[in-house]
Amino acid sequence: MTKHFAFGTEKTAMDHFKLAMENKYGKEWGSNQQNDDIQAKTTKYLRLGYEQSPRKVEMAKAGADIAKKRGLQAYDPLLHLAGIPLGQRQLTPYTLGGTDIVVEGDDLHYVNNAAMQQMWDDIRRTCVVGLDLAHETLEKRLGKEVTPETINYYLEVLNHALPGGAIVQEHMVETHPAMVDDCYVKVFTGDDTLKDELDSQFVIDIDKMFIPDHAAQIKASIGKASFQAVHIPTVVSRVADGGQTSRWMAMQVGMSFISAYHMCAGEAAVADLAFTAKHAGLVEMSEMLPARRARGPNEPGGLSFGHMCDIVQTSRKFRDDPDKIALETCAAASMLYDQIWLGGYMSGGVGFTMYATAAYTNNTVDDDLYAATEYGWDTYGTAVGKTVAPSIDVIKDIGTWGTIYGLELYENYPTSLEDHFGGSQRATVIATATGAACAITTGNSNAGLSAWYLCMYLHKEAHGRLGFFGYDLQDQCGATNVYSYQSDEGLLGELRGANYPNYAMNVGHQGGYTTVLTGAYTGCGHGFSTNPLVKTCFADDLMNFDFVEVRHCFGQGALREYDRCAGERAYVIPAK
Amino acid sequence: MAYKPQYYPGSTSVAENRRKHMSNNVEKLREVSDEDLTAMLGHRAPGSDYPSTHPPLAEMGEPDCPVRQMVTPTPGTAAGDRVRYVQWADSMYNAPSVPYWRSYHAAINHRGVDPGTLSGRQVVEARERDMEACAKEQVETEMTCPGLAGLRGATVHGHSCRLQEDGVMFDMLDRRRLEGDVIIQDKDQVGVPLDRKVNMGKPMSEAEAAKRTTFYRIDNVAFRDDKEVIEWMQRVWELRTLYGYQPHD
Repeated sequence: MTKHFAFGTEKTAMDHFKLAMENKYGKEWGSNQQNDDIQAKTTKYLRLGYEQSPRKVEMAKAGADIAKKRGLQAYDPLLHLAGIPLGQRQLTPYTLGGTDIVVEGDDLHYVNNAAMQQMWDDIRRTCVVGLDLAHETLEKRLGKEVTPETINYYLEVLNHALPGGAIVQEHMVETHPAMVDDCYVKVFTGDDTLKDELDSQFVIDIDKMFIPDHAAQIKASIGKASFQAVHIPTVVSRVADGGQTSRWMAMQVGMSFISAYHMCAGEAAVADLAFTAKHAGLVEMSEMLPARRARGPNEPGGLSFGHMCDIVQTSRKFRDDPDKIALETCAAASMLYDQIWLGGYMSGGVGFTMYATAAYTNNTVDDDLYAATEYGWDTYGTAVGKTVAPSIDVIKDIGTWGTIYGLELYENYPTSLEDHFGGSQRATVIATATGAACAITTGNSNAGLSAWYLCMYLHKEAHGRLGFFGYDLQDQCGATNVYSYQSDEGLLGELRGANYPNYAMNVGHQGGYTTVLTGAYTGCGHGFSTNPLVKTCFADDLMNFDFVEVRHCFGQGALREYDRCAGERAYVIPAK
Repeated sequence: MAYKPQYYPGSTSVAENRRKHMSNNVEKLREVSDEDLTAMLGHRAPGSDYPSTHPPLAEMGEPDCPVRQMVTPTPGTAAGDRVRYVQWADSMYNAPSVPYWRSYHAAINHRGVDPGTLSGRQVVEARERDMEACAKEQVETEMTCPGLAGLRGATVHGHSCRLQEDGVMFDMLDRRRLEGDVIIQDKDQVGVPLDRKVNMGKPMSEAEAAKRTTFYRIDNVAFRDDKEVIEWMQRVWELRTLYGYQPHD
């Protein structure tokens, strides 16, 4: 087996994978009495039931208490499968990939994990709005002077108004600041002169937040333009929906301009400002979905994979480790697209967590990805910023090598095969790593997707199985349109998304695709994937969720240690 | 037919076994009575009549139709049987069959079947007596080792779990187990207890399973060693990819 390294650490990725398997199967967790050789093909199944898991015991007690209190049946693990409870095999914990955090599987369901909820809250409540068109309207249509001083004053006003402070009318109800303390606006620009003249409290300083070559690239892409990074209150977008984000922003921005620039609230010219300030320069995180899926903008189904790549911020701190960037993105995208979007919005239920966790726990994708990346780099003499042109031969080579490596990992480690007890999990894990390694080596997202499809063919053939009916369908037909840019047929990978025709019902895939696409920009050593505005907007330590260390943040949530939740109602309800 | 189909590439024992399953050139290894099979399937009481969803076709006065003239109904269709299922789970530790090959076997060798292929399970739906004919063929032949494969309508994750210490595939519902040197089954596909113990015979030895399997494993026949299969899949992928470029060709 190839020796390969997790960049920046002394241990190999294989070491980390083995450690996770040891945590899971080599030592006792709760009272599961497990102490197995992680490479043994047999084990003693003790059928200890749910009591072996501390969390299940806690949940059973809570369910019994609730049933007693309300006089109505609640959670009871003995109702599982007509009296055969979970735990006929050992109930085992999960190591968050790239960390030493070991958690119960239940605590990776988004309902039980505050950090996961906040990640999605932070995306849904965010939009980017241009300032320049509004400023032009103010100057040319309304005769107002716009200077750094007036911009600073406007931003003061807006940071009062955006959370729900009154700004024009005198007899108004307002939101309580303690309920909306996560809400704010900052600005960013590629214009260093303007940046230097703005109050630093309002500025996302690209030079400080990004490494020099990334900062230069992002500033060049943004140019002299200036933008607002807007985050409305979490509680607001939870009560309404993602479409509320730009509406809430628009009202508060419009009123703040009227107040800060002493405008008449009724003249027709204000309509021009309203359009330019609220709508003309607006970038939503997600597109609105078609009526048959009936979701407004800033809902996960309309979030392109490219935007998802840019929302994750790992590239700011780990430029030379494209695998680390891919893996953090993998966690964020798998959780959002599988657990929350397909598992929550589209399907309901709890099962989708099992698809996603395979992609970000127990260092399995990690080991496959570092191995396949090393193979690609060694074979083609590539590195970050030095890629090889994609060709059928290159994709075939990396795609085949990565697939066989991933298959043999499962064959060599029966505990890993048991960990990923569904073929859909295994297929996504191997294809994600193989596709991302190909994208990293070639710097081309569609080449990465092409390797994904080859991987699926080979995997199905080797093990005589892949996922389930619906899972396999996409993977059998995707190769024929992987390079097409014709509408309803294909698209640049980064612009595909959860509602892309061939991917919309694609359980277990969407986080993987996002991971693959990440490889394109990180392999090239670029500062962003698709949209420099989105990348910069989230380059902000004030955001509640940590978009640099996604898996660590999920782990904190699972350990009940994540303490940057927003939108809580505790302030306005009786204390318990 | 003069043409003899070539179903599958590859020069290894796994590839050869795959060809055997597809062409139904499989060895019969055990007898399972019709009543025992019916009991394990769990759709009706052994010995009872087949429930029907419509009268026999001959009594229905079907319209004159060229398709009806060309296609002879299967026995189950002619009788009006319900559509019922047989579902298998095959261990990834050298079980003789794998989901896609159970599907290929059913689709190539039986009429009126609707095979469904998943990672842990493989289901065939068909008119009840037609389904039973397919199930009997698979249960009695080398396509099945009773220790490494099982009739399972639910909870099929044993396919990828480690084997039990006695070498038998894990079953959450404990539908069957090793007693002495044979596997007995005393629950139906979905785990409802039976009034009998069905003797499924001896499980294959490790060596025999390794010889008969259609599953590539690094500790038996490694996938990487079957160059022809890999090259064929690469060719399928390459042609599909290029076809996407040039749909007019």
